[in-house]
Amino acid sequence: MERIKHYIDVSLYHVKLAVLTMLEYPANFVGWLLSNPIQFILGFATIKFVVARFGTINGWDYGHLAFLYGIAVISHAFSMIFFVQGWFMGEYVVGGDFDRYMLRPLSVLFQFFFTQFNIVGFTDLIPGVCVFAYGCHKVHFHWSIGNVMAVLLLITGATLIRGGIYIIMGTFSFWTKSRNDFAGFTQEFFDKTTMYPLSMYPRMMQIILTYIIPIGWISYYPAKDLLSGTGMGAVISLVIGVVTMTLAALFFKVGLRSYESAGQ
Amino acid sequence: MDTIVVKNLKKEYKIAQKEKGLAGAVKNLFVRKYEILRAVDDISFTIPKGEITAFIGPNGAGKSTTVKMMSGILVPTSGDILINGRNPQKDRVHVVQDLGVVFGQRTQLNWDLRLGESFEMMRHIYKIPKAMYEENLKVMDDILGIEEIINIPVRQLSLGQRMRGDLVAAMLHSPSVLFLDEPTIGLDVEGKYAIRKFIKEINRVKGTTIILTTHDLGDIEELCKRLIIINKGKIVEDGPLEELVNRIAPNRNLVVEYYDENYVEHEQAKIINVEGNIVTYQFSKKEITGAGLICDISDRAKIKDATIKEVKIDDIIRIAYRG
Repeated sequence: MERIKHYIDVSLYHVKLAVLTMLEYPANFVGWLLSNPIQFILGFATIKFVVARFGTINGWDYGHLAFLYGIAVISHAFSMIFFVQGWFMGEYVVGGDFDRYMLRPLSVLFQFFFTQFNIVGFTDLIPGVCVFAYGCHKVHFHWSIGNVMAVLLLITGATLIRGGIYIIMGTFSFWTKSRNDFAGFTQEFFDKTTMYPLSMYPRMMQIILTYIIPIGWISYYPAKDLLSGTGMGAVISLVIGVVTMTLAALFFKVGLRSYESAGQ
Repeated sequence: MDTIVVKNLKKEYKIAQKEKGLAGAVKNLFVRKYEILRAVDDISFTIPKGEITAFIGPNGAGKSTTVKMMSGILVPTSGDILINGRNPQKDRVHVVQDLGVVFGQRTQLNWDLRLGESFEMMRHIYKIPKAMYEENLKVMDDILGIEEIINIPVRQLSLGQRMRGDLVAAMLHSPSVLFLDEPTIGLDVEGKYAIRKFIKEINRVKGTTIILTTHDLGDIEELCKRLIIINKGKIVEDGPLEELVNRIAPNRNLVVEYYDENYVEHEQAKIINVEGNIVTYQFSKKEITGAGLICDISDRAKIKDATIKEVKIDDIIRIAYRG
């Protein structure tokens, strides 16, 4: 309990530091505030174009697609706020930047993520929430207590799944000793697989993205369940998120033993 | 009880051997040859509480690797380390709670924000009680004058100021052990003076056990009673600086200036140079003291001036590195 209090205290202090840093470089933040929402709004406009042309994608109409797209972007935004560091783990490994974390009396993985919050991630939240709200309106989503709970569980689970996958991918750097910049690739892959119905992909790919790399549980399955009136998918998302994150943390711990710092 | 115990410590790295050219690069994809580099090769030593010890050695000798293993960053290939009775790999969190580490080439301060913010961050990370934090900050301000730079963003500090900041940040939680990896690297005379003064004061006031690696012989002369020289991963010398100097260079030179060219001889000193009225004697510190020799000579002839030439410490170290 004492330990949890300490970790929360450290996190909150670093939230403050992140805000102070943002205020130090306001132009940087404004830049992101403009560019990030535009990127996702344009992405959504593409869907509108496709739907206008073909009516539906795999039986999903415009409202359903907005609902799905919204969940994908919101969980992406949270994963950017809390776990974006995972993309750059290779840099830290090669540059010897884990030294500092190992010298402090806190979990290394905790410090890696929670001592440098990415406030810029909030700019992704804006288009996410807008499109999601629009989708909810279109499909007449009922905001009952159960549904609110389900959405919260689902966003938490989806964020954990994304974060866990970033950690697992980044952890390979401990052995390859390379910078392994997989940011662009991951973003592209996650976008393509979470913003559209998974059912439009080949069967083999659906199986992989359901049972091996649990990307389907980020948005597709829980959204599908919610649209048909059950929160079951959201609960499963959360469970898979917790499991993915736990496995990722254990894997990271193993990787850290092979950490070689930099220089001699 | 000894604060630091290191026993048979080894660290090996696998270094991939790459062949040159495109053909070599393709070959490297399939056949990987590794060479084992033993960065630290069976090192043992103990350090009692409150001692300041210098680790010196040429670049790549294994100093930093040893410090990184002692601070829990690197996992040793074999051997044991105990810091205050605990193993830094198995019990990292406990060990670092009572350890301060400063890397001269790297800062742990928050680059974007004012220096004071980094100190506050340490307060949260190490759970430093407010009273102790204020007290430590005050003590260190007295030595380093930290108040005058506390509101400047770290990125705008000079190297010397940043180093002062880093030292304070490492000592705010009152660790009983402090590792300093090249703390005076790149600093000007003023900067070095401030850092050395700080190290001496902290050691005196708090009894902190300090290990520092350095290439600066001034650091050693001013700070360290004990010297550990590492070369090619092995300890080649371990002992007080004075003892090392006496062993490697037991002879001293005495330069005597006479009023005229009539000089005297002495049975325990050899004349190695005569230039007009200036004569250089060489003597062994074991046989006669410098003062004794000057006394004897001035009894036998009138002398104008006498100076004892100490051996240059860099020469001693160079001889020691050669092994």
